[in-house]
Amino acid sequence: MLLRIAWRNIGRNKKRSGIIIGAVTLGLAAGIFLMAFYSGMIEQRVRLAIQNETSHLQVHHPDFRKDYDIKYYLVNGPASQKQIQSQVEVKQAAGRIIIPGMIASPSGSSGITINAVQPEKENAITGLQQKVRAGSYFNPQKENSILISEKLIKKLKLGIGKKTILTFQDSSGNMMAMAYRITGVFKTSNTPFDENNVFVNISDIDSLAGLHHQYNEIAILLHSGSSLKVVQTKLKSLFPEYEILNWQELAPEIALTVSVGEQMVLIFMGIILLALAFGIINTMLMAILERTREIGMLLALGMNRLRIFQMVLWETVLLVLAGCPFGIGIALAAIGITHQTGIRFKKFSEVYASFGYNDVIFPELNLRQFLIIMILVILTAVLSSLFPAWRALRLKPAVAMRK
Amino acid sequence: MKNNNTVIDAHNLVRVYDEKTVPIYALNRVHLHIERGEFTAIKGPSGSGKTTLLNMLGGLDSPTEGFVEINGTNITKLKGNKLIDFRLNNIGFVFQSYNLVPVLTARENVEFIMLLQKRPTSEIKKRVNELLQQVGLSEKAGKRPSELSGGQQQRIAVARALAPKPQFILADEPTANLDSVSAGNLLDIMAKLNKEENMTFIFSTHDQRVIDRARRVITLEDGKIVADTAPASTEHTHYETS
Ligand SMILES: Nc1ncnc2c1ncn2[C@@H]1O[C@H](COP(=O)(O)OP(=O)(O)OP(=O)(O)O)[C@@H](O)[C@H]1O
Ligand SMILES: [Mg+2]
Repeated sequence: MLLRIAWRNIGRNKKRSGIIIGAVTLGLAAGIFLMAFYSGMIEQRVRLAIQNETSHLQVHHPDFRKDYDIKYYLVNGPASQKQIQSQVEVKQAAGRIIIPGMIASPSGSSGITINAVQPEKENAITGLQQKVRAGSYFNPQKENSILISEKLIKKLKLGIGKKTILTFQDSSGNMMAMAYRITGVFKTSNTPFDENNVFVNISDIDSLAGLHHQYNEIAILLHSGSSLKVVQTKLKSLFPEYEILNWQELAPEIALTVSVGEQMVLIFMGIILLALAFGIINTMLMAILERTREIGMLLALGMNRLRIFQMVLWETVLLVLAGCPFGIGIALAAIGITHQTGIRFKKFSEVYASFGYNDVIFPELNLRQFLIIMILVILTAVLSSLFPAWRALRLKPAVAMRK
Repeated sequence: MKNNNTVIDAHNLVRVYDEKTVPIYALNRVHLHIERGEFTAIKGPSGSGKTTLLNMLGGLDSPTEGFVEINGTNITKLKGNKLIDFRLNNIGFVFQSYNLVPVLTARENVEFIMLLQKRPTSEIKKRVNELLQQVGLSEKAGKRPSELSGGQQQRIAVARALAPKPQFILADEPTANLDSVSAGNLLDIMAKLNKEENMTFIFSTHDQRVIDRARRVITLEDGKIVADTAPASTEHTHYETS
């Protein structure tokens, strides 16, 4: 019966209840959508990072990553690669030689990382071929070709078909220089990466670098990210002499982005909920004030304080719950649409790219976060009813009824 | 002297308001003894302390001095929820206005106290039907208070007060907002219930026509009982003075 009174009380002041229901709708819609937007953005950032930068796992000589010295290569590169490729969870394993070096043109030079890759396998892991915007990808017939980025080509005033010189140290510490012809221009969504990386065919550089048929990195793409830890452990026991790192270890800043992003959503949600709480407290206090005599009467008749408390609590919770379906509905509709179409930030695409984000975001709803938000909203309703309820409890029947 | 028929025993009641500035003695040394089955009016000019006295007897406010015993329980010593529960189970109230829960129907309002007492549904249903009939409002059972006239609202309030069979019913100016026909009706019903169910009624009023219906009339002036006419009929009560 308390529930019945509480429910009908909501209908008493339509305008006031409408405001709260509206606020809940708006807050929930905004909160859930924002959360989906953020998780979409973060998911995407992680996907991009795995695809373009880190892959799922990387295998190195334990000392290689200290200063990317080419002499720390994998002792049994090709054999290890084969063995890794034979694991069921592994989609593709690609060997690379990574060499810090310089690129030079008649009009200037620039420090870069030379990525010497196995064209087919590399494409299977990072989709490098698709990132070639002009010219063409590696061709077995054309030796000594190089892919460089749009950024770099402008900076060095080069063009497709032009020659460029790469200088680097070989595995014994001798300076080497070699001319390569630009056959393709690539562009990823990560500007800093583009500026600092070039790609050559591994067979055009391995002997020169002193690593004939060897690698200093094997990048591994899995069929599914969920087997990450399992495969990592397996490879660690298979190759105790190698360092085997997952993407979170390779790019701790991305792992950090994920947790910071989640915190951002929670902070934003906190602000929304705080505003909601103030709205609820205000409204319910007004309702209690208006019903002072009525509550006095209920107390006089013998409705004890627990029941008065429950009545106010129920009224608040029901009011908030009444707003939930609309808020959730609007949020789901908005997410459903934008998940298909994506949200494009044309104006900011440069900014996004400089942080390694795509300029199209596809919001994604994450069930766990959704449940957390629902629990938080209901908790807010309960907590914000405490103060009004307490005010109702303090009423003395004899005084309240004289009002 | 108390006896088995004593319902209320109020001893030396004092209620002082505004103690910090000028003290107002709303009640000044009032002794009162009410027996089962009484039909008693409390009269007196405005500000004489009628509401204050009824609040003391009903446990809605506590006296500055003295105490109230109901059926042997000193309610002045009861606190918080104990006192609220005591009211719930022992005292019926009819107020001048704002009597009913506006969002409940007439029937639900009559059920209200019995529901709070967690009586069995079948009992509640039977009792409520019976009472709606007794106050002549069976066909209005589904209406909200706002759809009822003032007199009908007060009759529902009487039915609600009576429903759980309390020790007595306190009514503070129950007819103040009613026209004389409705007031007469309400008094008829109260008198009938007093007779048929032997329910004790204590009501305050200004209205001489209402006072004329009472069997015992207590007159208050400046917080003091200045007159207390003996009950016209002694068939229910054995009135003794101490
Ligand atoms: N809460 C209060 N605070 C201060 N003074 C009060 C309070 N309640 C009552 N009084 C004072 O106590 C005195 C008695 O008031 P009470 O309401 O009992 O009179 P009453 O006989 O019921 O009057 P009425 O016929 O107008 O209802 C009055 O002087 C009143 O002003
Ligand atoms: Mg009064």
